[in-house]
Amino acid sequence: MDRTLKRRLEARLGAQIQGPIRQRHDQTEIRIQPGDVPDVLRTLHDSVDLRFELLADLAGVDTGNEMQVVYHLWSETSPDWLRIIAEPLSREDPRCPSATFLWTGAEWLEREAYDMFGIVFEGNRDLRRIFMPPDYTSFPLRKDFLLPDDAARSPGEGVRNVERPFAPAVVADDPAAGVRRAPAS
Amino acid sequence: MPTRPARTTSRPKQRPPEQHRSEDDPRIMLDRAVSADLYEPIPPYPTRTEREAEFYTIGDGEMFLNLGPQHPATHGVLRLVLKLSGEQIVDVDPVLGYLHRGVEKICENSDYYHVIDQVDPLEYASALFQEWAAVLAFEKLMDVEVPPRAEYIRVLSAELLRISSHTLFMGFLALDMGGLTPILYSFIERDEIVEMLAALTGARMLFNYFRIGGVNGDLNHEFMSRLGDWMSRAAKQTEANTGLLNENEIFVRRARGVGVMDREMALRFGVTGGNLRASGVPFDVRRAHPYSVYPQLDFNVPTRLEGDSLARYLIRMDEVRESIKIIDQCLNNMPDGPVMAKLPRLLRPHPGRAWGAVEGPRGMLGVYAISDGTDQPFRFRIHDPSFMNLEVVPHLLPGNLLADTMAIVSSLDPIMGGIDK
Repeated sequence: MDRTLKRRLEARLGAQIQGPIRQRHDQTEIRIQPGDVPDVLRTLHDSVDLRFELLADLAGVDTGNEMQVVYHLWSETSPDWLRIIAEPLSREDPRCPSATFLWTGAEWLEREAYDMFGIVFEGNRDLRRIFMPPDYTSFPLRKDFLLPDDAARSPGEGVRNVERPFAPAVVADDPAAGVRRAPAS
Repeated sequence: MPTRPARTTSRPKQRPPEQHRSEDDPRIMLDRAVSADLYEPIPPYPTRTEREAEFYTIGDGEMFLNLGPQHPATHGVLRLVLKLSGEQIVDVDPVLGYLHRGVEKICENSDYYHVIDQVDPLEYASALFQEWAAVLAFEKLMDVEVPPRAEYIRVLSAELLRISSHTLFMGFLALDMGGLTPILYSFIERDEIVEMLAALTGARMLFNYFRIGGVNGDLNHEFMSRLGDWMSRAAKQTEANTGLLNENEIFVRRARGVGVMDREMALRFGVTGGNLRASGVPFDVRRAHPYSVYPQLDFNVPTRLEGDSLARYLIRMDEVRESIKIIDQCLNNMPDGPVMAKLPRLLRPHPGRAWGAVEGPRGMLGVYAISDGTDQPFRFRIHDPSFMNLEVVPHLLPGNLLADTMAIVSSLDPIMGGIDK
C-alpha cells in the first residue's frame, strides 16, 4: 500500500473523488462520476507528481443494479496499481466519455466493453462490435444474459458438480429473477 | 446429299483465350451474386462508424485485399482487410472474433477452481502465465499465503515456458520472412521444454498446473533429470540459434527500420512486454509490481531504443538469456516444504475486488476479479497483451509494402487465442 499516493490523489483530485480512497494489497481504488472521467484521467496522466502513463486495463462491469467502467493505471511514481471506478451508469442507457483522447489504445478496449455490455463511449470514433458479428443484438456479459445450462441461476434445472449449501437468492416469479446482483459495497 | 459449304480460306477461328470465360462453361456453376458477396470486402450493412465509413471508401487506384482468416502467416484466425495502392499499404482494418468463445462468461459461471482450466487455452503457447494471472488475482481476493517452495516452482516452470515461447517466436518470425531453418531448431528446443513440463504437470500444452495457494505437484525425478540435461547446454544452444538469424543479412535488412514504434506511441497504445521495452520503456511487471519471489531474484530488464521489428526480436532473445539466469537461481535457492496452502474445498471469498497482473512472454497479463461472496467469481475480466499489441498494427502498417506485413505483425507476436477470448 502506498500511503503517499493517497495524499497526492487527495491533493490533486479533491472533490472529484466520490467516497473514501480504498487501499488493499498493491491496489489503490478511487470512485468517480462518469462525467468526470476526462478531467480525472487528464490530471492523472499529466500531473508531474502522478504521471500515470500506461492504461493497463479498461473493463466494463455490470453489477446487476448499474454499470461501471473500471480503469487500471500504472505509474513509475507509485508501487501501486491505481483503479478508477466510474459509476453509476444506468443499465438502460449506459454512457461514458471515451478515454481515446489520451490513450489511443483504449479504442479497442472500449469496443470490447461496448460489444459485451452495450456501454456507449462518447468520443470513440470507431465504436462497433469487435468480437460478435455485426448483426448480433445482445450484450453477452450483462447479468441478465443467462446461459441455457446455467444451473446456478435457474433453480431445478441442470446439475452442478459442486455442492451448493445455500439457497438460491432469487425467486422464479420475481420479474428480475435470474439477475445476479452484487452487494452494495 | 447436302451440299457442303464451300470451304473458305478463313477457317472458323478458335476463340482467343481471353474469351474462354467460366460463365460460358455449362459445367461451372458460377453464381454471380454469390461470388460478388464472397469477394466484396465492403460490408453488406450500412457502415456503423465514421472510421468504418472512411476505411471502406475506396480512393483512386486503390484496392482491398483480404489477408486471412486462414492465411498461414496470420498466427491463427486473424483477418486483415488491407487497402492497397499498388503494393503499398494505405490502411488496415483487422477483423477479430473468429475464435471468440466467451471465456469471461464461462468463468463467471464456473467456480474458482474451474476457472484455472478455462483460462488455459487463451494463451496456448504459454498457458501457465494465464493461469498465474488468475490465481494471483484470486489469492489477493482471499488473502492466501503461498508456500515459498510453490512460488519457486511457479517461477521455474513459467520461465521455462517463457524460453519455449520466445524460441518459438524466433522460428515463426523467420518463417514469415521466408527462412525455413530456424523453426526446426525452435521446435527442438520447444519439444525438450514441453516434454520436461509434461513430466512435471502431466500435459504438454494446456497444463492446468497452478492452483489457488500453490501448484498441483512437487518436482519429480524425471523433470529434474531432463532439466539438468537441458540446462547443461541451454545457453550455448540459444547462442547458436540466435546466430542463425543475427548473422543473416537478409533477415536483418528486412527487419531493421520496419514498423518503428516510438516511446510515446507505445505508451499511447497500451502496448506492454517486449514490444514496449523495445521502444525504450523499462516496464516489466516482474520489476514494476513485483509478485511471487521475483524481488529475491537477480535479473536484468533488457531495453532497446530503436522500436523496430529487429529490436523486438533482439529483446526477446535477451530475455531468454535472463530467463536461463533465473532458472539457475531457482534451482540453487529452492527451499523445502509444502507446495500447497491449506484451503477449503469450497472457496467463497468475501465480497471484494482484486487485480492481479503477471509478465507473460507477450506482455502484461492481467485479471480483474470481483467476488460477491458466492463460489463463483462475479466478474472475471481478462486483459490480454496480444490484444493491445495487435491494436497497433493498423498504425504501423500504412506506408509499408505488402511483403512487410508479416515482418511487422509477427514481430509483435500476437496469439489469437488470447485476443479473441
